[in-house]
Amino acid sequence: MGRLGVTIVGIVAAVGLSALVFIGINKLFDLTEKWYAVFTTVVGALLAAGVFGVLWGNRMIVTPVAVTLIAAVLGGAIGFGMGVMARPMLRLAVGIGGGAALGVLLGVMARSSTWPSIDPVAAVVGLVIGAGVGALVWFLARIGGRRAPVAPKLLSGAAVGWLFGAWLAAGSGGTQAETVIVSVVLGGLIGASIGVRPVSTTLTRAQTASGSRKYIFIGPALLFVVATLVIPLVRTIWLGFQTGAPRELRWTGLTNYSDIFTDPTIIDTSNWTAIFGSRLTWIAAVLILIGLGIGLWLGRSGGTGLGTGFATSAGTLTLLAGGVMLLGFSVFVSIRGTIANNLWWIWAVIIFSVALGLAVAVLADRSRGENIAKAMIFLPMAISFVGASIIWRLMYVARPPRNPQTGVFNAIWVQIGVLSNSDTASVLLSMMFFLAILALLYLAWRAWNAGTYSIVAGSLALMVPFIWLIYRFLGPGLGGFTTSAAGDVVADPVLFIQEAPWNNFWMMVVLIWIQTGFAMVIFSAAIKAVPEELIEAARIDGATESQAFWRVTIPQILPTIGVVVTTLIVTVLKVFDIPKVMTNGNFDTQVLANEMWERAFTQLNFGLGSAVAVVLFVAVLPVMYINIRRMQRERLG
Amino acid sequence: MKRLRNVFILLAIFALVGAACASDEGDGTTTTTGDGGSSLEGTTVTVFSSEDGPVEAAAIQAALDVFAEANGMTITHTGARDFSDQINAQAVGGNPPDIAMFPQPGKVIDFANQGYILPLDPAVEAVVRPQWPAGTLETYSVGDTAYAVQVKTDLKSIVWYNTEVFANGGYEIPTTLDELFALSDQMIADGQTPWCVGIESGPATGWVFTDWMEDMMLRVEGPEAYDEWLSNDLKFDDPRVIAVAEKILDLWNKPGAVYAAGGSIAATAHSADHGEPLVAGTCAMVRQASFFAAFLPEGTSTGPDGQVGTFYFPAADTSSSPTLTAGNSAAAFRDAPEVWAVMEYLGSAEYAENRQKAQREDQGGDSSGFLTANLNVDLSLWNDLEAGFIAILAAADPARFDGSDFMPAAVGSGAFWTEGTSAVNGDKSVADAFAAIQAAWPEE
Amino acid sequence: MTATADRISSTGRRPLGNRIYKFLRSIPTWALWFIVILWTIPTFSLFVNSLRTRDAQRNSGFWSAFADNANGYHFPTLDNYREVLFPDTGAGLWNALLNSASIAIVATIIPIAIAAFAAYAFAWIDFRGREWLFIGTVALLAVPTQVSLIPLLSAYTNGVAWTLPIVHRTITIFPDLNLSGSIPAVWLTHTGFALPFAIFLLHNYIASLPKDLFESAAIDGANHFTVFWRLVLPLSVPVLAAFAIFQFLWTWNDYLIALTMIGGNRGALPATIVVASIAGEFGAREHLLTAGAFVITVVPLIVFFALQRFFVTGITAGSVKG
Repeated sequence: MGRLGVTIVGIVAAVGLSALVFIGINKLFDLTEKWYAVFTTVVGALLAAGVFGVLWGNRMIVTPVAVTLIAAVLGGAIGFGMGVMARPMLRLAVGIGGGAALGVLLGVMARSSTWPSIDPVAAVVGLVIGAGVGALVWFLARIGGRRAPVAPKLLSGAAVGWLFGAWLAAGSGGTQAETVIVSVVLGGLIGASIGVRPVSTTLTRAQTASGSRKYIFIGPALLFVVATLVIPLVRTIWLGFQTGAPRELRWTGLTNYSDIFTDPTIIDTSNWTAIFGSRLTWIAAVLILIGLGIGLWLGRSGGTGLGTGFATSAGTLTLLAGGVMLLGFSVFVSIRGTIANNLWWIWAVIIFSVALGLAVAVLADRSRGENIAKAMIFLPMAISFVGASIIWRLMYVARPPRNPQTGVFNAIWVQIGVLSNSDTASVLLSMMFFLAILALLYLAWRAWNAGTYSIVAGSLALMVPFIWLIYRFLGPGLGGFTTSAAGDVVADPVLFIQEAPWNNFWMMVVLIWIQTGFAMVIFSAAIKAVPEELIEAARIDGATESQAFWRVTIPQILPTIGVVVTTLIVTVLKVFDIPKVMTNGNFDTQVLANEMWERAFTQLNFGLGSAVAVVLFVAVLPVMYINIRRMQRERLG
Repeated sequence: MKRLRNVFILLAIFALVGAACASDEGDGTTTTTGDGGSSLEGTTVTVFSSEDGPVEAAAIQAALDVFAEANGMTITHTGARDFSDQINAQAVGGNPPDIAMFPQPGKVIDFANQGYILPLDPAVEAVVRPQWPAGTLETYSVGDTAYAVQVKTDLKSIVWYNTEVFANGGYEIPTTLDELFALSDQMIADGQTPWCVGIESGPATGWVFTDWMEDMMLRVEGPEAYDEWLSNDLKFDDPRVIAVAEKILDLWNKPGAVYAAGGSIAATAHSADHGEPLVAGTCAMVRQASFFAAFLPEGTSTGPDGQVGTFYFPAADTSSSPTLTAGNSAAAFRDAPEVWAVMEYLGSAEYAENRQKAQREDQGGDSSGFLTANLNVDLSLWNDLEAGFIAILAAADPARFDGSDFMPAAVGSGAFWTEGTSAVNGDKSVADAFAAIQAAWPEE
Repeated sequence: MTATADRISSTGRRPLGNRIYKFLRSIPTWALWFIVILWTIPTFSLFVNSLRTRDAQRNSGFWSAFADNANGYHFPTLDNYREVLFPDTGAGLWNALLNSASIAIVATIIPIAIAAFAAYAFAWIDFRGREWLFIGTVALLAVPTQVSLIPLLSAYTNGVAWTLPIVHRTITIFPDLNLSGSIPAVWLTHTGFALPFAIFLLHNYIASLPKDLFESAAIDGANHFTVFWRLVLPLSVPVLAAFAIFQFLWTWNDYLIALTMIGGNRGALPATIVVASIAGEFGAREHLLTAGAFVITVVPLIVFFALQRFFVTGITAGSVKG
């Protein structure tokens, strides 16, 4: 249990320390108004300690702990002086004296390897140039309308100039005396630039207290974001123009990008004509035509469209959406390559997650067991992509024909094959399907009489799969089986993971499984937020439940759909773990994020990998832009 | 506020620029290498490998601990599933382990060429070289400079067979490739399914086919052609290579030849789906590497008198015994006496024996799954089955390393697997599939 | 939709027809439970399989679990769990679970705090360039974070140094603390990666708090820190909890960042990595994956259900009207 203790202590220490730093800084600036001297003392001590800490980090001083502590005390003394003294001469004296004392400390304790050998000319030139720059800055500020005394700018400029001229530009190997001279002058100049300022008024103190907050509040976030994202991003953009092994990078211009877009594994349109030969395309076309036809006809006769002459109802929209979805699928099974795969991912995951999420949100709304249903759908969100991939690999397992199938999908598929090869089972099942068709016909007739045309369309559409099932069961058969040369029926499981291009879709199912819960939660909240009066008003106007849904609820939650879609696009474009674990990009399932990983990390081709990353980044940007714009509009509106 | 900000900025500039006085020369705190260099007392060495399974990782750690305790030092081993990506990230990120155990010699050569790993210390090389079969160190050499020592050897050219089926059918263990093919035909004629073949392995599906391909290339075309093939001097779309692939597929595709019928070889797990059928006699033979013992149902007896025996995947004729091997090799990233001491230990028989003891004990005294080609090991530490494997390794003439581990990653762990799978599935003709593999070979 | 059904049934048709009609009209409700069952099968099958022996898992699907005993396998068995959590050799999952907890808790709390400060500032402190800084920060969501791993790793290992031009002096910006291989390296990385989304989410919520609140606080003389501490934090509990769920799930389930940053330091590896390596090189112990995967899933499930009631309010602020 020792480990448990260490873990808890570590957690508490990390969290506590972070909180302490943040609260401490805020409390420190709270002091400015009532306890100004305390504030300046602490700031002085912290700044001096900070400067010496940096020197310590750069291994410039000996016995760093003690030196840093002394520096903190000295800095605190200067700060205290600045906080309590008002007479200008006294302030200047304390500033110069304290600065010089810090300079002595630095000069004495500096490591011998850093001792400069002064070149007087360079030192004076540096001093003058620095002072000049300081004056220039002051002058520019003055033109810009800011009134401030010139002396602090002049002195601090001189300090920086002196530092460059006397220390940095000088060669090493000087004496300690020289070092002390350089650092005392430096400290004196800085001290003077601080001491020359007049004591602050109550007004400036208040400004300090409030004006400092933006830095305190945003500072930590910016620090982290710049260090972990901005700098690496800049580096990646730069690397995208390089080629070669990591230690032998050389400039190559746009070659990586032209390589990406000419590589047939990344985008391959050679088989695009297959789109028109595919059965999917024709089914899609028929669905779209029927949907459009019914919608337009209903819209004209009933006049219930949104002023477009098109009737929006569950049936017509489902037909249209299904048709468009299938059309996309038929495009993506013909046009192959990494980029096409990514687009397919976006297409499938968004359509299915949004449609299913919306359906569940609507169906569960105020139904019995709503919370249980929603929790179960949301549950996969808690499972890692790696864990989900393990789970789904078990679902997709294909085993040799003579073994029992252990994967759910193949077990069902092979069982269907067995049933469709048994005469009695096929006939029995076909009869059941026939009954279902009759029931649907009846439903359509009733709905027709009641004037709910969406149900007519829906039940007619639902009949098609049953007709097809009867055809398959009585005719060529269905399911996972083949007939061997000897004439016996052998199970033929589907290789969900290996058979391109549909293996892509089976991997998308994993993400759909995870993301539907996310979409559902948000839609559910949005639906509950639609004002009841609006729906009531529609009902009073004679709208059916379904009409009220399509004409009131959906337009109300359209912005929410936009949020879900954009969030999903970002997630899906960056999808990485699922292909990595399930196929590692083999069998035509590569996606951009994994392509980037493989080029950069597996093959150590940072140039090409970075270029792929930049493509990915650029692809996500417009989505982010739309998202942010929408958000801003909402804030203003 | 503005004034305060100015003070901040000024001090920040001072801090940064002042810091610049720290010269590049360093800080004078040079690392001292102990008291004289011979003592390893108190030192630490980190080892990183691809063997992440709990049993293997524990056995490696146990073997390292023996050495560490004897010398008062600390050695930690970590295994990672994504070893090859991780070692890249760590080497380039400047945080490599002291020693890495590479599963692929191609990676060792790459790292040697790019200067990430160190050439073997001559003293270490002198000690290790005579302990291994001739040619072992050459696998890990650039020019005449050796970079790695072998720490684990896998034997691939083995056929596992059901002894009862062989006894009942009166089948002889084949000694040439032709006899093996004839035996296969004979079994089909007798109504016995000869082979269990499956190439499913998740993202790596297809590697079993590449193993067959390598073994057959070695036998049909000979070692020289094999070497040319690895360096792509003999192209994948060469008729000779295609003929070898077709020979394999002809063997598999004969009606009744393979347990996984109906073109579902690609759906059959490479090992997990073969243990039970082999023991049950549903199929008679499995060609699989030495690790297959772990996939036999619990309680299966092995060896010529047990339920499952093994024989050497026969050569074209009895004059030579080409053997396909694989294995892990250790290379050093840090030049320090303690690192070289561990490297020398890793190449020794003691390390192999210590690892074997730990690993076999963990498996309840059964097959351990660990082999070594080290010539000095005490064979009594292995069970009869695995001692036989080590004998095959010792008799290998010539030994060749798993070829796909030498090929560029785009081929060796990419197109060769996936296109090979297409060919096995019958989705593509062998000629088309192999032309696609050749196209995936990166141009220099 | 029930209202329509009622209206139609009240027009009085034959009872049988009505019953069929009602039955058919209730199909949508069934569809809900059909989807729920469909969604549960994968997790359920994982759980059932984790209680079955190796050979049982290999030879039949989870649905035959209750026939296992008849087929000579033992069901249910906790052997897989015992082997995963307390193996005879090696450390088992216990240490790794502690590491996971340590990573996930700290890497959840610190980004929340930092993002809350920043979101507050972006929403309620006026300063020049605020809008652009905010857009820039959120746009970083588009960065594929994998590109940051190598630069960060090398910073943690060797520190960051910058050679000044002209004078050719090298400055250490971030000291060589040798953080790689340690859990703090993972904290820092997760914190940076989480911030764009955290700021985005928290900003949506905090910006939608009523303006009067801040005005009256300002009249009372409260400064930003007091307002943040006394008003904004307590009011933002839902969104903080919502983000905490997201971030905890993400850090607990993370594989890549921990593996890259911790690398060879076995003692600090989290559970995801340890579970992923259970199967072994050739998958000989694949049957243990089920138990391992289930163990690492339990903790995020508990966290999710504990904080669930905050989730919807927090996440939908600013994206749902009303």
